[in-house]
Amino acid sequence: MNIFKELYQYRELLKTNVKKEIRGKYKGSWLGVLWTFLNPLLQLLVYSFVFPYILRVEVEHYTIFMMVALVPWTFFTTAIQIGASSIIGEAGIIKKVYFPREIIPISVVISALVNFLITCIIMFLFILISGVGFTPYVLLFPVIVLIQTIFTLGFTFILSAVTVYVQDIAHFVSIVIMLMFYATPIVYNGELLPAKFQWIITLNPMAQVINAYRDILFYHKTPDYNGIAILALISLAILFVGYEIFKKLKRNFVEEL
Amino acid sequence: MKSNKAIIVDHVDKDFKMYYDRANTLKEKLLFFSKKNKSKDKLLHILKDINLTIDKGESVALIGVNGSGKSTLLKMMTKIIYPNKGKITVNGKLTSLLELGAGFHPDFSGRENIYFNSSIFGLTKKEIEKRIDQIIEFSELQDFIDNPVRTYSSGMYMRLAFSVAINVDADILLIDEILAVGDQHFQEKCFNKLKELKKEGKTIVIVTHSLNSVKEFCDRAVWLYDGKIRMDGNVDKVISEYEKVCG
Repeated sequence: MNIFKELYQYRELLKTNVKKEIRGKYKGSWLGVLWTFLNPLLQLLVYSFVFPYILRVEVEHYTIFMMVALVPWTFFTTAIQIGASSIIGEAGIIKKVYFPREIIPISVVISALVNFLITCIIMFLFILISGVGFTPYVLLFPVIVLIQTIFTLGFTFILSAVTVYVQDIAHFVSIVIMLMFYATPIVYNGELLPAKFQWIITLNPMAQVINAYRDILFYHKTPDYNGIAILALISLAILFVGYEIFKKLKRNFVEEL
Repeated sequence: MKSNKAIIVDHVDKDFKMYYDRANTLKEKLLFFSKKNKSKDKLLHILKDINLTIDKGESVALIGVNGSGKSTLLKMMTKIIYPNKGKITVNGKLTSLLELGAGFHPDFSGRENIYFNSSIFGLTKKEIEKRIDQIIEFSELQDFIDNPVRTYSSGMYMRLAFSVAINVDADILLIDEILAVGDQHFQEKCFNKLKELKKEGKTIVIVTHSLNSVKEFCDRAVWLYDGKIRMDGNVDKVISEYEKVCG
């Protein structure tokens, strides 16, 4: 495949782009990169007050129950949201120089992944301190992360390219993400959903991923291996289709921007 | 692969849509879907069935009046835009000096910007480190290289940008009106560098209106007129004909 060779050649550009993405966003703010972790943590603080105490969701260790879902969710949504407007944001340089356009969405996803992995360290500390603890199932964690990264990249490819043609997509994505937040078992347990709504979870790759994270990190039970295998295949399909769409659309980026 | 050919332009057509009033959002697209505005959109046929083969080591000038499609052709060679029909094949590493200083960050130092800019050209860290002294020396910005680029004058800025681009070490160089960089001294330096690269056997394609420098530097000229190749051949012949018609 030609694209891998090209990406390898431009690896320095990918690296500087990821660095810029991680450090550039909070340049000039006092706490800098710390904001990346403070955002989900403060969100977590609010939710772990609202749901157990006001809405009376009764789950033991609710904070951890939520955290193992909210942290991966944040990874997904940042990548999608920043990714959607990433090509438009780099319009200036795209019009002037040739470089593999794939670098832009890929570096968005990689920088979101790096932030996610760093937040995971905090998450693991929480799991340890709260007494929930670990079982050997934690070894499956990298596998789930990989699957999530693959389909996130696929979606980011599609959104970043389509947004060039229809700029509304960026706003549309924000609304869909908000709705998805409740359609994904993050603040509640998916099994509580009535049978007639279960399809929402079945069709939602994020719901599948979050159930898997929760099984291995919170419930300490064997995750649904068949489900994970199918999800892995679907993720690869999403990446493949996403890349094909991107490849088709990238030819006219300069004329559309 | 025909290894002695650097660039092959094969039956290339390029259109541009000129939007009368472009619908950018979904709402506008839905509301103004009517044919009224559509009919005012024009299709500009910029390049019509261009065939051009440039051998390795040749230095070719593209000349023609404004709007004849010179820059469009150059942009397609760099793969910034793509032809509607036909195919362009490029053999070898290609660098374009179309827009100098693309990707410069005003808040970072000249040295850091050399890294950013070179990485956009596809160089790895090692390759950049190997060249950085050469680039700084060529730009003559030794005393300012660690100052932020926003403190540079426009001449210094262009000098830095040109020095990065010229030191990328590509096999094919595409140049669009760059001989207006810096003062007389630096212009001469650029010109000498280009001559040196030519001697090394690099392929060079220049778009320019400065016919004198073309005569001095190129072996071959291609005259584009109204999206077609009007004349292609020895630089002196083409230019004297061009001057007769357009001069």
